[in-house]
Amino acid sequence: MIDTIASQQLLSMRRQRVFVVAMGLFVAMTAAAGALGWSSHQTIVRVYEQAVKLLAAQGQPAPPNPFLLKPELSLLSNMVVYIPLLGALLALLIGHMAISDDGPAGRLVFSRSVSRGDYALGKILGAGIALGLIMLTALAISLFSLVVVNHAVPGLAVLGRLVVFYGLSWLYVMVFALIGMGAALLSRRRSFSLLAALGVWLGFTFAIPQFTSGLRPTESLNPIIDPVGISQRFFEVTALARPISIAEQYKAASGQVLAIVPVESASSTLSHTLPIAVAAALLVAAVIALVRRHDFSRSSYED
Amino acid sequence: MDGPAIEMRGLGHSYNGSPVLHNIDLTIERGEVFGFLGHNGAGKTTTVNILTTLITPTHGTALVNGYDVITDRRRVNAHIGYLPSEVRMYPHMTARENLTFFAELSGVESPNRAVAETLEYLDCSELADLRVGSFSTGMRQRIGIAQAIVHRPSVLFLDEPTAGLDPAGIRQLRRTILDLNADLGMTVFMNTHQLSEVSKVCTTIGVLNHGELIYKDSMEATMRRFPDEMSLEDIYVRMGGVPA
Repeated sequence: MIDTIASQQLLSMRRQRVFVVAMGLFVAMTAAAGALGWSSHQTIVRVYEQAVKLLAAQGQPAPPNPFLLKPELSLLSNMVVYIPLLGALLALLIGHMAISDDGPAGRLVFSRSVSRGDYALGKILGAGIALGLIMLTALAISLFSLVVVNHAVPGLAVLGRLVVFYGLSWLYVMVFALIGMGAALLSRRRSFSLLAALGVWLGFTFAIPQFTSGLRPTESLNPIIDPVGISQRFFEVTALARPISIAEQYKAASGQVLAIVPVESASSTLSHTLPIAVAAALLVAAVIALVRRHDFSRSSYED
Repeated sequence: MDGPAIEMRGLGHSYNGSPVLHNIDLTIERGEVFGFLGHNGAGKTTTVNILTTLITPTHGTALVNGYDVITDRRRVNAHIGYLPSEVRMYPHMTARENLTFFAELSGVESPNRAVAETLEYLDCSELADLRVGSFSTGMRQRIGIAQAIVHRPSVLFLDEPTAGLDPAGIRQLRRTILDLNADLGMTVFMNTHQLSEVSKVCTTIGVLNHGELIYKDSMEATMRRFPDEMSLEDIYVRMGGVPA
């Protein structure tokens, strides 16, 4: 039953233009991240080559290639920004569509021998598969970018990091798919529920990190450590909530996985991942509870 | 299976404390085509929502095929087909994909075969591979009936099935209901306020007035009981004070 509901959702979703456009945009941005990485690599290498020639002409020794000093996965650093922005937004849309598309047909579904638990799990599975496929596509594009830049297939260690990064990203965007589902179950107005879910996304992505990162907007948007410390009392207090600021936790964990920020330890990466996993688990429970109490006898969602 | 197809005892329902259905006692035997008449807001759809397990009654009991709609929902669902007043399926999927989905949800062993047979039975195979979102009201209604019978239920609930249909569509629906009853032995429970339809297809009628069942009898007995009346419409108007 769960798989029947999940496959129906996938079939219905991939036929909808809004989903195809949002997915296309995300995939295009993934490709753009690779292209930007490749472009910056080319620039650095060309400047380096010219510098080497100049220094050789002057009889001076050439310094090491700066690109070789950068982590191999640094060219994907933009993905750490794109996923909380576009990936989470796409996930929100997938979650929203999964429930609101059933507004009209929900009565027919529940006139069948379908348990509400199976229905909720089917919807979550459908969203999970859709986002999993999108992350796999992004992984393939990233891998292609790495091969183009380095003229070689990445080693197992790099490949492993890439897989862990997209696994972590999948978990992160699932949180937003579940938020989209929850909002659609709480409101019958399709536009309002989407707007409410967008509000939550804005809160998690932009507003909360402003407080929990101690007013370090650069860090809230990019996976780098801001050298400016916490100086104000208010932000010292709000910074205590940092462990539950999942956008920040995602950036910290993914920065470590891609080795573009200093890796503290494997347990530190896990401790950054834990709040995301807890949020996802709580939201799964919330979606199941909301499906159980939702009145599917009412005919349709209003716009 | 023995016993009546539908049995309600003291069935009632309230929305936010406002009662909409009062102590309904009603039995519908197997093989009947039951017309449930009533004005808008009388409680007909609430009754169907309870019998199809979409909502839980606030008091009383209801059995469908001998199974309790509160404690044995899944067995009730396995035996019923349901056509809501506004048929809305997944618009981006074809009729065949929609029907296959509903057949799978009902646990039909060979969903593809069941869908093909149902479409052929209803003479609408030409709609199979078209997307439901492009359908007219009449086409949606035909595919709606197909989803309601694809798993061959023994009891079929139709909520205002003629709403929005043109005369040709109404005639076709009437023929379908009679065929389903005769060929497949389905008990049909039909909510309507189209009195002309009731007199043409129903074997028994019940009248609901402000949540109370004020009349129930066979079509034949009704016509006998009101011999002076010109039509069912006249009888219906007179029934305002007729006790059940």
